[in-house]
Amino acid sequence: MKKAQTEIIGLAIIVILVILGMTFVIKFLMDKPPVETKKEFTQAELASNMLDAFLETTARENNCKFTMSQLLQNCGQGGGITCNNKDSCEYARDAANEIFEEKTLGKVWNIPYEFKVFYSNDENDNLFQPIGKACAGNKKSKSYIIPTTKGPLTVKLDICS
Amino acid sequence: MLETIAVLAVFFILLMLGFIFYTKVIKSGVEEEKEENIQLSAIKIAQQAAALPELQCSQNNVIKDNCVDRLKLEVADNIMQSPENEIFYYDKFSFSKITVEEIYPNTKEWPLYDRPLDDYTHTLVTHIPISIFNPENDENAFGLMEVESYLK
Repeated sequence: MKKAQTEIIGLAIIVILVILGMTFVIKFLMDKPPVETKKEFTQAELASNMLDAFLETTARENNCKFTMSQLLQNCGQGGGITCNNKDSCEYARDAANEIFEEKTLGKVWNIPYEFKVFYSNDENDNLFQPIGKACAGNKKSKSYIIPTTKGPLTVKLDICS
Repeated sequence: MLETIAVLAVFFILLMLGFIFYTKVIKSGVEEEKEENIQLSAIKIAQQAAALPELQCSQNNVIKDNCVDRLKLEVADNIMQSPENEIFYYDKFSFSKITVEEIYPNTKEWPLYDRPLDDYTHTLVTHIPISIFNPENDENAFGLMEVESYLK
């Protein structure tokens, strides 16, 4: 084999290596995660605004004009308030289910979430069955404390990322 | 002679590959920046809509966050869609659609602003949960402000 032929083969090998290298770099650049500025903002705001608005919402019944916050407080203190033949715990849970599951996060937007209310000293001591499913990975959370005679209650909404 | 041609061919192939690579990198960066700007603009419109003084609740001159006054809401569309205020609201909301919807305890919708882009290709929708406060009976409803930005 002539010297010139050997040089050309060497050059060809270099070209192939460069092409492979560039393909790899281009693939790496193309695989960059999409821009999710809006999604991050929305998720961060959603948990906070949802919970804030929910706790201030007034019950539907005319003879039961309590806010969800007052109903949860009553529920945490052992009950006493009855709205539409439901005790405060059941009524607040039904309202939360209607707002979060039926009309927004769950069935309409398909965003995984978990809403729960528990005595602050024990996260497993729930006032009622949590709504939604516990997040497996990352989540944005917002919680509020409601004082009761039986100790503080934590109302928590997790929006799964 | 043949060797010179081969070397030149290789040189031009490398040059071409380098150019393609450079173009791809630049294009990817520009598109990413464009997408981010679009999303930031949608966020800006949503934030401005949520903090509109024309709708905000206030008690004793203290503004309540994340809350819309129902009485203001009932008349806001007249103000926001009147021709004399068109430019003022266009500067704030550009090409977008803003509606407030009560979802609990009752259901009702208030269209506030709608200026669609003629040849838009897609929209970015932002939902902002809000309280709708009725000062007449001191009750709050759960509502959503939907801000839809039209994009090309």
